[in-house]
Amino acid sequence: MALEPFAKSNALTFGVELELQLVSLSDFDLTPASPDLLHLLAQKPFPGNVTPEITESMIEINSSVQTHHKPLLAELRAIRDTLVAAADKLNIGICGGGTHPFQHWSEQKIYPKQRFQELSVLYGYLAKQFTIFGQHVHIGCSSGDDALFLLHSLSRYVPHFIALSASSPFVQGRDTLFESARLNSVFAFPMSGRAPFCLRWDDFANVYYAKMEATGIIRSMKDFYWDIRPKPEYGTIELRVCDTPLTVERAAALAGYLQALCRHLLERREAAPCEDDYLVYNYNRFQACRFGLDGAVTHPKTYQTVALREDILQTLEAMEPHAESLGGSSALAHLRDVANGASDANFLRQQFGRHGGCEGVVDEAIRVFRG
Amino acid sequence: MPDLLSILTSLAWPVAIALAWLAGEFGQHFTGLPRVTFYGLVGFALASGQVGILPVPNGGAALVAADIAFGLMLFELGYRINLRWFRTNPWLGVASLVEAGATFAGVRWIALAFGTEPTTALMLAALAMATSPATVVRVVNEQRASGQVTERVMHLAAVNCVLAVFAFNLVVGYWMFRSTEDLGEAAWLSFRSLVVSGLAGAFAGVAVSALLRALGNLAQDATVAFALSVILLVSVTYTFRLSPVVAALAFGLTARHRRVAYGQAQRSFGALGDLLTVLLYVYCASMLDWRIVTAGLVPSLAMVAVRLVTKTAGVALFSPLSGISWRKGALTGLGLAPLSIFIILVLEHARVSGVALPAAAQAMAAVSLLLELGAPVILQRALVWARETPEGQHGA
Repeated sequence: MALEPFAKSNALTFGVELELQLVSLSDFDLTPASPDLLHLLAQKPFPGNVTPEITESMIEINSSVQTHHKPLLAELRAIRDTLVAAADKLNIGICGGGTHPFQHWSEQKIYPKQRFQELSVLYGYLAKQFTIFGQHVHIGCSSGDDALFLLHSLSRYVPHFIALSASSPFVQGRDTLFESARLNSVFAFPMSGRAPFCLRWDDFANVYYAKMEATGIIRSMKDFYWDIRPKPEYGTIELRVCDTPLTVERAAALAGYLQALCRHLLERREAAPCEDDYLVYNYNRFQACRFGLDGAVTHPKTYQTVALREDILQTLEAMEPHAESLGGSSALAHLRDVANGASDANFLRQQFGRHGGCEGVVDEAIRVFRG
Repeated sequence: MPDLLSILTSLAWPVAIALAWLAGEFGQHFTGLPRVTFYGLVGFALASGQVGILPVPNGGAALVAADIAFGLMLFELGYRINLRWFRTNPWLGVASLVEAGATFAGVRWIALAFGTEPTTALMLAALAMATSPATVVRVVNEQRASGQVTERVMHLAAVNCVLAVFAFNLVVGYWMFRSTEDLGEAAWLSFRSLVVSGLAGAFAGVAVSALLRALGNLAQDATVAFALSVILLVSVTYTFRLSPVVAALAFGLTARHRRVAYGQAQRSFGALGDLLTVLLYVYCASMLDWRIVTAGLVPSLAMVAVRLVTKTAGVALFSPLSGISWRKGALTGLGLAPLSIFIILVLEHARVSGVALPAAAQAMAAVSLLLELGAPVILQRALVWARETPEGQHGA
């Protein structure tokens, strides 16, 4: 089946998806509570949307399509409050964070939905190891060509989003020394990584996608786990590198930053993206995952290595006019504080020191998510 | 040279425990049924009233060990109770009171219908309200269950145990005074015992948590500290005639709310818990005599049936209001079936402390046996049908 045409959507509209952890308040481990929670949530109107995820210890929420940071934040807060109230009724904790600090993949249960069951059969233990929690941000594009242009132009900024959202330092009860260990799990999937370099939608759809489909390896865009992928059915590109932050405020701020950045890139004042930009891509990505804000990145055009924190702060400053015209200055202000201070990963490590164990870390994450 | 009889007598318990453990392992492997069912089966078969390998239970070291095993499980149950849930979901508390109240009324009515003496009927009704925490904790851990039915069974069991202890003490107090004028006095004494037991457990929770914090040991294994504290606490309740049930529950509750990590690695207190569990089930089943069991079989079957109905209906009635489906509500009620360990230990303690209740013990013998063997299976099925056990068990 050929790739569907790229749907028209208003440029720079945006929406957020958050994968969230469902935690047992008895022992702070993940609990397969999504069927019960979804059953309860179905009984009342839900702001935005809530869906199951691949394992029963996760749920995904998504906002509606928004144009400004403030209403997006308001909607995410309403979603959070609805979720927390329902979770309280069922004695479930809900929190952000890219990984659960001490869950074991073997304990997870695949959600009983055909696609998830198929993925489980195909990927074996990788499917359960996919019990990781990310934030995805969709940006509306007026055409497929614009979508591909933005997708590749954003590759230089991917480390920013990794470092600013990093919230997965612990895996299976141990400190990984990574700020974002979550992306290491994504990398295990054969169709992960970055999209092939291509700037024309027709070429992408009729050449690359058509060939991939002919191989029989993929059946839809859903089979690609790229860091940024086009979503023709929505008319968007989807940034997928962020860990789910500990708060909806940070999630909204990251979306606001991406929106401002896309506005800037669409002015086409920066050098056009090219295949060689990807020479430094994986290493920059690693630096952001491993060291977060304290990492260093190499510029894809000049090959200059700079401190990631500085690069973020300079970019935030440069984006200020765009944010202002989009009504998203408070989003950038929020992220400036993060860049000048510490990440969620850092906060979680502090809690480990304070409580002496991973249970205390999860407990704090639940508390922080409640707002 | 010691004579053969004394050698056999001294070997009786170790042999019984070893056999029960083997039966549990093989039984679980070949049938998938909970291990505790097989422990009970072996204990009953080897009891003095049946094959006669085990001596007539008469308090002593075996009872202390059984109490410690029971205490460890109560601690673990208490640790998993989130009191805040009763505030955020008041219907859960309502369901708890209704299922316990309906069980009390239903069992009393059945007992009276079969000609049981009114005070004894009240005792049976009080005991029947409870759900055995030992079986709940054991089966939940063995099945690695997690979900709404699991959580609710544990929370409701904790509440109905406290209600049962209070009601039972009240009835016993009334029975001892034998007059309605002293009913107030009996209620006060029962309430006071409950409060003091709770305070003793809470004190242990605060003290042990503080000690572990001072040692900077929170991230490590707190099992030994908790286990020793439970042993100490059970001994204290013996000395001061308090309720070990309430004290151990309160200890677990306090430890949990003091945020001391009792990680999954320590579920059921590891090998120590496993060993004591075998002893607990063998000991309790060994107190049953088949002649007494068969004599009271018909009223017992009626009581078990009524109790299942009242608990299932009492919980299911409030399931949509409390946020779950009718089906899961009914399965939660069904999961409250376990009872026998609780009854046997409570009655044995009453007997050891000089309050012999032969009528109640006889009337409950068949109930105890039926539920010792059947209730773990009912709970296991409820968890499996609720899809709260790991994958691969749902078709079981």
